[in-house]
Amino acid sequence: MDDKKKLETAAPEGSAPYAQAPDTLLDIRDLRVEYHTDEDVVYAVNGLDLTIGKGESLGLVGETGAGKTTTALSVLRLIADPPGKIVDGEIWFEGENMLRAKPGRLREIRGSKISVIFQDPMTSLNPVYSVGDQIAEVIHQHEKCSREEGRKKAGDMLEMVGIPRARYDEYPHQFSGGMKQRVVIAMSIACSPELILADEPTTALDVTIQAQVLELMSELKEKLRTSLLLITHDLGVVAQVCDRVAIMYAGEIVESGTIAEVFDHPHHPYTIGLFGSIPSLDETAEKLKPIRGQMPDPTVLPEGCAFAPRCPYAVETCRAQRVEMTSAGGTHLVRCLAHQGVFQAPELMEEVRHGR
Amino acid sequence: MADKNDVILEVRNLKKYFKSPTGTLHAVDGVNFSIRKGETLGLVGESGCGKSTIGRLILGLHQATSGEILFNGRNICEMNKKQLHALRSDLQIIFQDPFSSLNPRMSIGEIIGEPLLIHNKVHGKAELNAEVARLMDVVGLSARLFNAYPHELDGGRRQRVGIARALSLKPQFIVCDEPVSSLDVSIQAQVLNLLKDLQAEFGLTYLFITHDLSVVKFFSDKIAVMYLGQLVETADSTELFQNTLHPYSQALLSAIPAPSSRQKMQRVKLIGELQSPIDPEPGCRFAKRCLYAKERCTGQDLALRDFGKGHFCACCQAGELAGNPNFN
Repeated sequence: MDDKKKLETAAPEGSAPYAQAPDTLLDIRDLRVEYHTDEDVVYAVNGLDLTIGKGESLGLVGETGAGKTTTALSVLRLIADPPGKIVDGEIWFEGENMLRAKPGRLREIRGSKISVIFQDPMTSLNPVYSVGDQIAEVIHQHEKCSREEGRKKAGDMLEMVGIPRARYDEYPHQFSGGMKQRVVIAMSIACSPELILADEPTTALDVTIQAQVLELMSELKEKLRTSLLLITHDLGVVAQVCDRVAIMYAGEIVESGTIAEVFDHPHHPYTIGLFGSIPSLDETAEKLKPIRGQMPDPTVLPEGCAFAPRCPYAVETCRAQRVEMTSAGGTHLVRCLAHQGVFQAPELMEEVRHGR
Repeated sequence: MADKNDVILEVRNLKKYFKSPTGTLHAVDGVNFSIRKGETLGLVGESGCGKSTIGRLILGLHQATSGEILFNGRNICEMNKKQLHALRSDLQIIFQDPFSSLNPRMSIGEIIGEPLLIHNKVHGKAELNAEVARLMDVVGLSARLFNAYPHELDGGRRQRVGIARALSLKPQFIVCDEPVSSLDVSIQAQVLNLLKDLQAEFGLTYLFITHDLSVVKFFSDKIAVMYLGQLVETADSTELFQNTLHPYSQALLSAIPAPSSRQKMQRVKLIGELQSPIDPEPGCRFAKRCLYAKERCTGQDLALRDFGKGHFCACCQAGELAGNPNFN
């Protein structure tokens, strides 16, 4: 892939080139979210474009403070206002603009068309209701059915996530962490949603339990054909569960594409830095290659490319202008001036060609 | 151990039981290992397996139920308060959570300097400040943070403060209890590199406690895998990964999601979840979750057996499983 080709397929302004796909389920355009505190304005999400197709699973990867959770909460309009505010953008879900939806409509969508799995299963469950009743509550909220039908369906859901129906009347404290997360997953699929937003669903779990939960999520995804937005900081989890991946840094997507595109040939210096930071199980390296410096302060984001202050390849131009996403071949998009041919970075290109 | 003189820390049949309303909790149950000078031993296991308890026992923060911890030949378990106090200048710990392990009312300079004052290592304010400034420089903290408070710092910098504090008394041995698990990957790599540099510079010995196998492989010379209070396998780092003998170590390895488009996750190689450490039955503690468990696995406790090249494993079928197509 040479640099000129990338320029030709540059994204038209205001819309991502993949936005017109007919089977798009969720389409986020130019989303901007700010948190206003007494002293500062935190720019959490800054012009984010994202689409998820029907039945597709997208991994949203980034470090603490990148704006991943804010993005997910915006989709369901769950940003606390104040201090949070969605200041600009559109969020289209099945042809409906979520940002214009009335509270009643939002209540209909939440839990039935779009459901959420949060990181901490301990705090997502109510300690004083039995787990079965909590699942049935979601069903009764959205479907007209008798108590017995609700109970039966909730029991079905428990079995689907690998918990015996006999445990219907038990309470959250009687379940281990992994089992609690299974209950939360059962709740999230109870009304056969179109889209599940999973915010770090396995971060609080041990690796062996994480592996079991990831296996369950992959199975359910195949079986139910539900779309998934998986938010995580773990590149391994994304590679195992998702079809596509979007790398987020300081409130914007810096690179996106299929798992093979991004994981085999990462293009953006930040993505390359992320991969260099994780110790590999296959090879023995003496030293890791970390990204220097820290995440930028979200109240005073750098002008131009937000990653420029930490980027080993950055030049003056990077700090001067906002960078657009451009194609790197296929569905692979990257937000970097070096890849637009604005300046020469032979070392970066060598790194990209070499791949992983 | 090839050279007895090299061993800086030796743990012999260490046990720590806690009383709980429902029975006795066997947090650490007959653990043996030794660490040589300048080496790093990685202690791996899931939450609740007793790895942090071992770290705390070594520092004398818990009183052992039985067993010995020999540090430079002296038994820590039998030391009195005064001896333990003196020991702290050789033995330090870096805690997991840099948010709760720093006093929010003390400035960074005060936090790093406190051990120096307690142990009378410096004389006068000028010497103290100079030493603190030197330590901050060693761990890569900018000097302007001297008067800052912990809440002004992000996780990575806070962990550097914790490391500077641990280094202040020029210890020989540091227990690192999950020092990077609360940090973002890019920051995690910076801190791991820093710990490696410090080890080379000051000849430090580490006990590195973690649940993250890829971190432990990168960081350790030797690895000990722990399950419900007991060691199930110990070996040199590369040997453990190339020639895994215990079904639990195997399950742990298979559970790591590979960050690669070509390696797909294997089927999970264990059943169910961690059993309760309260009044465990004799026999292999992993047997209930093990895919290969046989009758002989239960009934009597299993000791670590030598498989050559410093590789020890507690599984009674170890070595026989290599031919099994599901294994490896």
